[in-house]
Amino acid sequence: MKKTMKKTLELSLLAGLIASSSAMAADTVTFQLDWLPGGDKAPIYSGIQQGFFEEVDIEVKIASGRGSTDALTKMATGQSDIGTSDIGALMAAKAQDDVPVTAVLPYFTQAPHAFFTVKGSGISSIKDLKGKKVATSPFTSSNAFLPLVLKQNGLTEDDIKLVKSDPGALSPMMITGNADAIIAWVTNTALFDAQTKEAGKELIEMPWSDSGLSLYSSTLLAADKFLEERPDVAKRFVKAYAKSIAFTYQYPDKAGADIHKMVPEVDAAIASAQLKSITGLVYNDVTEKDGVGKFSTDRIQQTWTYVAEANGLSADALDPTTAVTTDFLPE
Amino acid sequence: MNQTRPLKSWFAIQANRFAPLIFFVGLVILWELICTLGKVPNYVLPSPSAIITAFFNVEFSRWMGHLWATLRVALMGFILSILIALPLSIGMMRSELMNRILYPALIVIQSTPVVAVAPLIIVLLGTDDPSRVLITCLITFFPLVVSTTTGMLETPPEMIELSQSLRAPRYRETWQIRIPYAIPHIFSGLRVSITLAIIGAVVAEFVAAEEGLGYFIQFSTSFFKIPQAFSGLIFLSIISLLLFKSIQWIQMWLFPWSLPKKK
Repeated sequence: MKKTMKKTLELSLLAGLIASSSAMAADTVTFQLDWLPGGDKAPIYSGIQQGFFEEVDIEVKIASGRGSTDALTKMATGQSDIGTSDIGALMAAKAQDDVPVTAVLPYFTQAPHAFFTVKGSGISSIKDLKGKKVATSPFTSSNAFLPLVLKQNGLTEDDIKLVKSDPGALSPMMITGNADAIIAWVTNTALFDAQTKEAGKELIEMPWSDSGLSLYSSTLLAADKFLEERPDVAKRFVKAYAKSIAFTYQYPDKAGADIHKMVPEVDAAIASAQLKSITGLVYNDVTEKDGVGKFSTDRIQQTWTYVAEANGLSADALDPTTAVTTDFLPE
Repeated sequence: MNQTRPLKSWFAIQANRFAPLIFFVGLVILWELICTLGKVPNYVLPSPSAIITAFFNVEFSRWMGHLWATLRVALMGFILSILIALPLSIGMMRSELMNRILYPALIVIQSTPVVAVAPLIIVLLGTDDPSRVLITCLITFFPLVVSTTTGMLETPPEMIELSQSLRAPRYRETWQIRIPYAIPHIFSGLRVSITLAIIGAVVAEFVAAEEGLGYFIQFSTSFFKIPQAFSGLIFLSIISLLLFKSIQWIQMWLFPWSLPKKK
């Protein structure tokens, strides 16, 4: 009896020791997504599956979000340490209320907003939208930029009939002809394409970046508290995340499998198709000019100009460079 | 003349007995026919067969994982609201002052749309279970308080007078007279609350969750897998139905006397 008790005690001590030593070994970081898991969110999953975060001794916990502002709030209140969200939403939030969140690494260097329509709708360019019914979802950041992109094409908001609907209903509305065109992110292209094909139609995509709306979009942001209290962890994290982005777009099929392994609801094939269709948001003429993973002051300024105009903020409400730090970029 | 009657009534009895099932099956067949004959695409209204296929395309262990996540939160919120509602109603029944103070507050809580408050609760309490349980509890506890209080107040006044004339202490009056009289009311409150608990858990998952049937439905729509979303929805309503039924079973098991007498 005594012997077994001693043995149990020894075993539990040993277990405790193992548990505590493994807990001590890695730093835990909570990563915030700005939406549900999907192809465009693959880098964090690939980084974990490929061991990039393990290499730098970081254990990652992923939290899904429900939109840019939701993700920002969770980082600002310290529920998450770091994550991806729209830098435009950050700038707007910082201009109105000094949220303690800062951008640390660019991810999408082009805006993902786009119009979608099907062939036969009589629309082949943004200018053709005049008098047409366009559907959008109520909370997308695209809505703020809509007047700008219309203006760039010689239209005003009064020229189109804008209706709002649930994000899940947009594509069916477009296919059934309930709406002539819809507004969504190009991250959806692969999904929309599959659906329109199923209905025997052909998808037309009109990215807003093609018509002049050129700005930073989804960006790696971090809570100021995290950057101040654990700068070393933050630096290692950003390095591993940059590596994960590179891996994801170099091997989209592997990345699709990685995310499927961690979130079985995400279809690996759809995720890799999504990744392939959005490579242009990550690698493009901007990254060719400025370098991958580098912020350019001009483009930060340009992004803020668009964001300020879209949100009706005065241009001097924020010095946009304060929304960004380059201290944590990998050397 | 009465000879043919038993035969006729056998059909009548069977039809009557299976009426809910016949109605349900008929509805499903009609639905399938409309979808197939009307060539309704899956992304508009998926046919029952597409929904069933989608259901079996998801691994069983995933279903169980999501089910457990939702059920756990729903039941925790439900139990918490019972723990809050019962003492609260006893207090409100016994003290006029407490009733006057708390009732307006309760009505304010009930009339606040929890869906709108949910994101704030998440910010306050974090993205883990506590906030989800609180959201569920906020939705479920009001019907319980109302039904329990109503039940206790409906005790025949003669019974109360009798117990007072016998100098029974107040706790015995509450436990041995008022609560037993309130049992049928409490159980109808519980039946309403348990279905609300599932709704509460789903609302919470829509705001922040990594698992659960509500999350699964939201996830499926975000990937435009409409039949899969429907299968999650139907699974959810079956669970809701079972929980509703199980409250009835518990009442039958523990308080058979409190059920209305069958004719």
